[in-house]
Amino acid sequence: MRNMTLLALVVGSATLLGAAPAADAAEKAKTVKALITAKQVDALQPDAEIWSQAPATKVSLQPAFPGHPSIVGTPRIAEVKVQAVRGPDRLFVRLEWDDASANGQLVDTASFSDGVAVQFPTNGKVSTAPFMGDAKSTVNVWYWRADGRVEELIAGGFGTATSLRTEGEVAGVGARTPKGWQVVLTRKLTGPKESVNLKRFREIPVAFAAWDGANQERDGFKAVTLEWWRLKL
Amino acid sequence: MRQLAYVFDLNKCIGCHTCTMACKQLWTNRGGREYMYWNNVETRPGKGYPKNWEQKGGGFKDGVLQTDGKIPPKEDYGGVWEYNLQEVLLEGKGNQVVPHEKPSWGPNWDEDEGKGEFPNNHYFYLPRICNHCSNPACLAACPRKAIYKRPEDGLVVVDQERCRGYRYCVKACPYGKVYFNLQTGKSEKCIGCYPRVEKGIPPACVAQCVGKIRFVGYRDDKEGPIYKLVEQWKVALPLHAEYGTQPNVFYVPPMNTTPPLFEEDGRLGDKPRIPLADLEALFGKGVQPALETLGKEMAKRRQAQPSELTDILIGYTNKDRYRL
Repeated sequence: MRNMTLLALVVGSATLLGAAPAADAAEKAKTVKALITAKQVDALQPDAEIWSQAPATKVSLQPAFPGHPSIVGTPRIAEVKVQAVRGPDRLFVRLEWDDASANGQLVDTASFSDGVAVQFPTNGKVSTAPFMGDAKSTVNVWYWRADGRVEELIAGGFGTATSLRTEGEVAGVGARTPKGWQVVLTRKLTGPKESVNLKRFREIPVAFAAWDGANQERDGFKAVTLEWWRLKL
Repeated sequence: MRQLAYVFDLNKCIGCHTCTMACKQLWTNRGGREYMYWNNVETRPGKGYPKNWEQKGGGFKDGVLQTDGKIPPKEDYGGVWEYNLQEVLLEGKGNQVVPHEKPSWGPNWDEDEGKGEFPNNHYFYLPRICNHCSNPACLAACPRKAIYKRPEDGLVVVDQERCRGYRYCVKACPYGKVYFNLQTGKSEKCIGCYPRVEKGIPPACVAQCVGKIRFVGYRDDKEGPIYKLVEQWKVALPLHAEYGTQPNVFYVPPMNTTPPLFEEDGRLGDKPRIPLADLEALFGKGVQPALETLGKEMAKRRQAQPSELTDILIGYTNKDRYRL
């Protein structure tokens, strides 16, 4: 799925429920607050107007717990700025982070793509392991790669991430900034049956990950949130 | 688990690359594999393929998987260039057949260079495939368990459904025999021609070998050439056993059948042309006893006495060389 453009455009003014909290307070509460609108909204482009209205939260990232002896090294991305917009039937998440070198298409056998991902517990419960889920409870991952690939995955523990191969369910658009990347990931609130049904929740645990391709980051070699954050939607 | 294994007799290899071409035509001339040579023949001493693979790291040390391995960049494998044959030879355009890009390295770039100054130079050929190791570092390195050994023959294969192109296997294989396909975004390697093996047909590189240097069969088949050459006669040795992966391709080391080194005054000396240390660096301490055994058995034949070992190594018929 590449660069999907939503046809639904903003009609009239979006209804704003909830004001932007102070950034440091959000960091402390580990909460990302979505801008909620009852109108159809086009937030897929990272420079869409609506993003200037959605509250932004700085989320700090740490090296992921290495799930396998192969995974060594220190990931480079320290922080990602997160925003979210919930439309009547769709969630958009915008992620922005610093990364000096753009690594997109794989041009060499030794090159890796930059990337970013958003993760939800499929059952919406905070008891699900935030590290790729666990044997009992899966996680649902929305994954954008700078080579244009966007994937929706399900995982139940390390090494089990499996693509749902649901063409077009999760869409993503990335844009290069002078300092790094701006990426929007979006999916309907209700997705494939194995995935999270966001319609059921007003608040759900959420986690983030980012990969710096220049550092050969891929798989569990990544910077992540080591515990669940909360997304109010 | 039964384990399929190979013996390559380096004394018979003429460096013709027919094995390489057989493999390429069958598996790697398309679909993002163009740069890959699952089978290659390199000149030793030399940099090999991918370039300087012996320095790439990986494998095991004291049983511990090493994570210092390198993912060879494209330039270490060499370019995939095409020639303007059509234009020059058929359309009469231009007068020189040239590659479309300027080659600077390739899988056989340092062919026949070897080491030393004429007349005391030397080289030999080293054909290489995946070693289908009993303790594969590629398998150990994969966090997704996308690599497995087939229980029926021990061949090591990459499950293309499970692979996500992380390339820990490429890093971990100390022989540089796992490749990344840029088109599919997944890793690939020699599959031991398992669809042929399942039908009792030897792998393409084995079947096409002009010099009949290749033997294939199961490690536990006591009547087969593998068991006899590896376990009984101990003349076939693993390549870089110190990497800890327990490879299943064994090599009969090259004998010094070419003249020994010339002395200053032009007379033949008594030093071996290929230094023992060079061979031991590849095949370990088993080289000297193996060469002694080979020498003794060959001496028997020169005196018109029978030798089971030389008969096995000659491998008169396909049935003698292949036991599948």
